[in-house]
Amino acid sequence: MKTFFISLMTVMILFSGSQLAGQDAAAISKKSMDVVDMGSIQMDLTIHILDNKGNDRIRKIRIITGTFDDVNKTLIRFIAPPEVKGTSLLIYDYEDKDDDMWIYMPALRKVRRIVSSEKGKSFMGSEFTNADMSRPNQSDFNYEILGTELYEGKMCWKIESAGISSDVRKASGYSKTISFIDQENYLCHKVEYYDLSGSLHRIQYISDFRKQKGSNYIACRMTMENIQNKRTSQMTVDHFETGMQFSENAFSPSILQQ
Amino acid sequence: MPIVRFRWWIILTTLLLVVASIIPLLNIRINPDLESYLPDSMISRQNQKEINDAFGNEEILLIVIEAPDVLEQGTLLRVREISEAFAQMPQFERVYSLFQAKDIRSGDGSMIVESLVGQIPQTTIEREELRKAIVSNELAYKLTVSEDFRYLLIMLGLDGTLTDGQLMEMVQETLDRFPGEEKVSITGLPYLRDESNQKIGRDLMVLLPIGLLVMFLFLLISFRDLKSVLLPFSIVLFSIMICMAIIPVFGWELSLIGVLIPIMMIAIANNYGVYFVVRYHDISTAEPEMDVLERVKKTTDYLKMPVTLCGLTTIVGILGLVAHLLVPARQMGVVTAIGITFALSASLLFIPAVLSLFKKDKKHKKRFVHTGGFFHSLSERTAKHIVLHPKMIITAFALFLVLCSAGLFFLKTAPDFNKVLPENHAYNRAITILDNHFGGSKIIQVMFEGNTTDPFLLQCLDRYEKELKTLPNVGTVSSLSSVVKKISQALHDPGEPGYDQIPGSGEAVAQYLELYALSGDPGDLEQFVNFDYTKTLMTIQFHADELSQVRQVFSRIRQLTGSDSLEPVIGGFSLTDKDLGESVRRGQYYSLLAAFIAILFLLSVIFKSIKAGIIGSLPLIFSVLCTFGLMGWLGIELNIVTALLSSISIGLGVDFTIHIFWRIKWELAQGNDYTGSITTTLKSIGRGIVINACSVMLGFAVLFLSAFPLIRSFAFLIIVSLMLCLVCALVLIPAICYCARPKFLEKKNK
Repeated sequence: MKTFFISLMTVMILFSGSQLAGQDAAAISKKSMDVVDMGSIQMDLTIHILDNKGNDRIRKIRIITGTFDDVNKTLIRFIAPPEVKGTSLLIYDYEDKDDDMWIYMPALRKVRRIVSSEKGKSFMGSEFTNADMSRPNQSDFNYEILGTELYEGKMCWKIESAGISSDVRKASGYSKTISFIDQENYLCHKVEYYDLSGSLHRIQYISDFRKQKGSNYIACRMTMENIQNKRTSQMTVDHFETGMQFSENAFSPSILQQ
Repeated sequence: MPIVRFRWWIILTTLLLVVASIIPLLNIRINPDLESYLPDSMISRQNQKEINDAFGNEEILLIVIEAPDVLEQGTLLRVREISEAFAQMPQFERVYSLFQAKDIRSGDGSMIVESLVGQIPQTTIEREELRKAIVSNELAYKLTVSEDFRYLLIMLGLDGTLTDGQLMEMVQETLDRFPGEEKVSITGLPYLRDESNQKIGRDLMVLLPIGLLVMFLFLLISFRDLKSVLLPFSIVLFSIMICMAIIPVFGWELSLIGVLIPIMMIAIANNYGVYFVVRYHDISTAEPEMDVLERVKKTTDYLKMPVTLCGLTTIVGILGLVAHLLVPARQMGVVTAIGITFALSASLLFIPAVLSLFKKDKKHKKRFVHTGGFFHSLSERTAKHIVLHPKMIITAFALFLVLCSAGLFFLKTAPDFNKVLPENHAYNRAITILDNHFGGSKIIQVMFEGNTTDPFLLQCLDRYEKELKTLPNVGTVSSLSSVVKKISQALHDPGEPGYDQIPGSGEAVAQYLELYALSGDPGDLEQFVNFDYTKTLMTIQFHADELSQVRQVFSRIRQLTGSDSLEPVIGGFSLTDKDLGESVRRGQYYSLLAAFIAILFLLSVIFKSIKAGIIGSLPLIFSVLCTFGLMGWLGIELNIVTALLSSISIGLGVDFTIHIFWRIKWELAQGNDYTGSITTTLKSIGRGIVINACSVMLGFAVLFLSAFPLIRSFAFLIIVSLMLCLVCALVLIPAICYCARPKFLEKKNK
């Protein structure tokens, strides 16, 4: 789970709109995706998972992340509901090999390592996928400006990004995306995901951008609407802290039991 | 005479009705969905709806790939390509094959999650290793791969956005894209519906013209005069149009059973017209100088009573279908009854109205010679036999009845809809493979409500799984307890406490399930537990050749859950099948009873004697019992189509008896004794009855060309049944009358 979670939640604003003329699609996408390396972040999230009848399943989790020796480490701890409170998942995300994962279940009071070549498609059982949570490798995709469109009063580029090979497309789970990137500040407000057969599958709406130090933003609300199964998931950042200095010990398997 | 006075009105009204029927006819739609034939009030359908509301109404299509060893590189490559192609299509919400199966286990102190087939084996050693891995994986073995490794299964969960035709076209195109030597069979309700839809259309396109042609030729051979053929033939055509137009007018759709409607009209609708034409010609031959209007009047006066009575009894018999539990059977009862009413009215009004417009023939050929020939001598010999040995004849019939009825003990009710299609059809081939090499083709679902993370409930589910698996025809049983135990195997090492066990607390179960949701597709878990974890589903896969086996599984579930005071909702298509089978049997009794009571009543009223009702019903009882007995002996099952037999054969068969009664009574009234009356009856009206019965049987014989085996067996049975009715009416009834000399025959008509 490369640069788990941060990439989509934090967006950097590089330049003012006047400096954008003549940029190509890949450059615009890069600027839109570039994440400020904050060293580490902690955030509390509420995830609403709604089925097609409107039934709501709520999960509250705390995520802390940090990068140590080029390894992105993420600790996810369940805060609610009470029956799963304390369940924790620790992920070491390597560039060149399968992730290392450990799970702690309070009911068993033990940590178990998970060796998996299978990445679960869904993030926490929601409509977000683990691939959505990762920053894609730009060289794996072809970018194209489809044009411009006014989205909620903001003039946006419509940038299409398509996997260069079937392996890339299969790994990401989609054939292409169309992103609506604000011409003024590079914020991405909407992403359309097309499935492997080319049909519109999901639409992600990103809002409630909060400005940080420098030119960074954190998107505090993301909604993923699955057009095909009519389900929706919503992630809200309840609380976040950036620039924290976690020690590597905070990401050791033994910490899970604490 | 009113018919002559209003003849133009009668002709115009009839033609207008027929022309008007073209408009709704254009909107007729076919409904091949066999499940929709069942009434919504059925408990199993209500339960299924409740389960569908909680767990979604996902339909499944199953593709079976057959090869000498499915682990051969080429076969695996092909299956992988096919399942990947399906997985990329949004119309398939879920694709599950060997390539989606996971290997979740415990090893080296870790929980290991891998694809069962990481790489396609290249060498014999790799292939055997994979075989070993599959055998030890309960998520794959006997689910996606058969026990003998000859069959692979691809399960497709459908999103329901495509029509059955579009879906099957897409599936076929995908399969064609990846050709190979492996045999491919498909099964699943969408396939059954699509095939039935095509076959219903094909049946109508083939059977209707052939039926009409056969009837036309039969009439032409009988009358050798085009004018005489066209009159009853036009009644057949008009009645079919009216009948079929009523279906969309009432907002109904043409079902598989509906294929019988036009054929029944071909067989029945010409009867009354034929009697009219025959009588008209008889009068013309006997009294050539009589003018046309007088002939029409004489014919109408003579025929209106017996023809109306025959029509009425047929209508009443067929209306017995209204008591049937199957919706299309009820609809067929109503539609056919209206069609016959039209045919009867048109025969009594339209035919004389048209005949009255004809000019007097210059020369009348003598048709239907009543003396000499094979039939004449046969009827004379039969009559002689009847009056000489009436008791022997009655005994022979009784013995035959007992012999045939013994077959009732072997009469089976079809356990499912599968035999709608031919046995060697790809659909049924796949079903046979599922029954013989996988868990089975039948499914029962049991939904439990409550706290699904409660260890007590999961312990119960675990026990039910084990108990049900001991039943000989049960293949697999899966529930939330299997999932929880599987996770426990991955979270604990073998031998460690908790391994392969349901955890003791609700929190632990909730955490197990959260782990499953984290590592898999949410859809995987939602097959077992609903979105808010308030309902859980147990699925039992089994095979059944007869209804009693479905009943056995069902009773065991009831017994097990009852002992824990649990009241689950039990559904599944097999249960609907079971209810259907039982309703077919029950519907059979209801419609049989309704038809009998109605016929008994009608005959009693017509002949003003309850004895007439009882004696008149005997051929029907004989015919129905013998036919069902023969079905038992011949191994023909009672199913949705053969269950229509009794009402139809009663409705038609009673006509023969009425004609016999009517004629014997008439002959006795003429001063003949019983011997003379019976002999004359058989020689005169007996011939007419035989011709009428032959035309009806010939009409039904067209159904032998149907694409549906069910309809073909119906054709065989209805012909047997009518033949029995015919023999009974011609031999048994005169024999009984000779012995009993009932008073109602001797009463003189006023």
